[in-house]
Amino acid sequence: MKVTSVITAVCLGALMTPALGIAAGLNAEMTKYVQGLETQAKKESGFKGFNAERGKKLFFEVLPNAKSGTISCATCHTSDLKKSGKTLVGKAIEPLAPSANKKRLTDVKETEKWLARNFKQVYGREGTAREKGDVLTFIAAQ
Amino acid sequence: MKLDRRICLAVLLVCAVTSSVLAGEARGESNREKGSSILGQVTNSAYLKECGACHFAFQPQLLPKRSWEKVMGTLDNHFGDSATLDEATRSRILEYLVKNSADMSSSKVSGKILATIGKTETPLRITDTQYFKRKHREVRADVFKRKSIGTPSNCSGCHVSADKGDFDEHKVKIPKN
Repeated sequence: MKVTSVITAVCLGALMTPALGIAAGLNAEMTKYVQGLETQAKKESGFKGFNAERGKKLFFEVLPNAKSGTISCATCHTSDLKKSGKTLVGKAIEPLAPSANKKRLTDVKETEKWLARNFKQVYGREGTAREKGDVLTFIAAQ
Repeated sequence: MKLDRRICLAVLLVCAVTSSVLAGEARGESNREKGSSILGQVTNSAYLKECGACHFAFQPQLLPKRSWEKVMGTLDNHFGDSATLDEATRSRILEYLVKNSADMSSSKVSGKILATIGKTETPLRITDTQYFKRKHREVRADVFKRKSIGTPSNCSGCHVSADKGDFDEHKVKIPKN
């Protein structure tokens, strides 16, 4: 009896943890960061959790760019996140997908820095908490 | 007496060597390459990580101090992109670039680059300097646009040992596509 209730408690605990943390196997530091984004995103109306499909759309959306004509995240990261990409000036970028590159989504400072820089590069502005969480959910699942 | 004098001489020699080595370090890496066309390898970890993530980590000896100061002071609009850094990292990188800039270097290449830049000019791109243009005048524009090169700023596209600071033209390999 006692064992069963412990198992039930563990299962319930797992269900209550944000889905992203489990799906991606994010470390404690990153899980905390994503939870922080979630808290911010909840202030927006109609927010029901981060969504990989919306993240995918953000990743592939093509926007006009002064230097390269058009640009999307996939311009440099390619459309297969398990593959290496290339910056506009020819420098190789290691794969974004955590399944292909264990270093991805393990460091909050790095993650924040690149989200800020790359949202500015593609969208010309910083991403909102919801957008960042959506993109991270999409990347984490790759 | 004779022994004392020898000890004195040895101590003086050690002091002289040590102080010149220390002075060399204070002036920056470039002095080790005095008179050579080979610039030193970039060793600063913050510079390699932050700047080298997006583009070739250009040797600081390729631009004057004032250029690096301007580049590092306008990172929010870095040739149209945002390359902002936290202040600690930014100043650490700037310090490295200034310490090893063309003005501080005694390498032949630095001297030639400086000679082609007017006193009132502050080029932000190495590719804008007359020295670069002269050295690459035989390279057609469409060659730079080849897929594996992309842009004139991708040094290692053709200079296969560029990351070692070796731009020797005999080692250049221009990719076919």
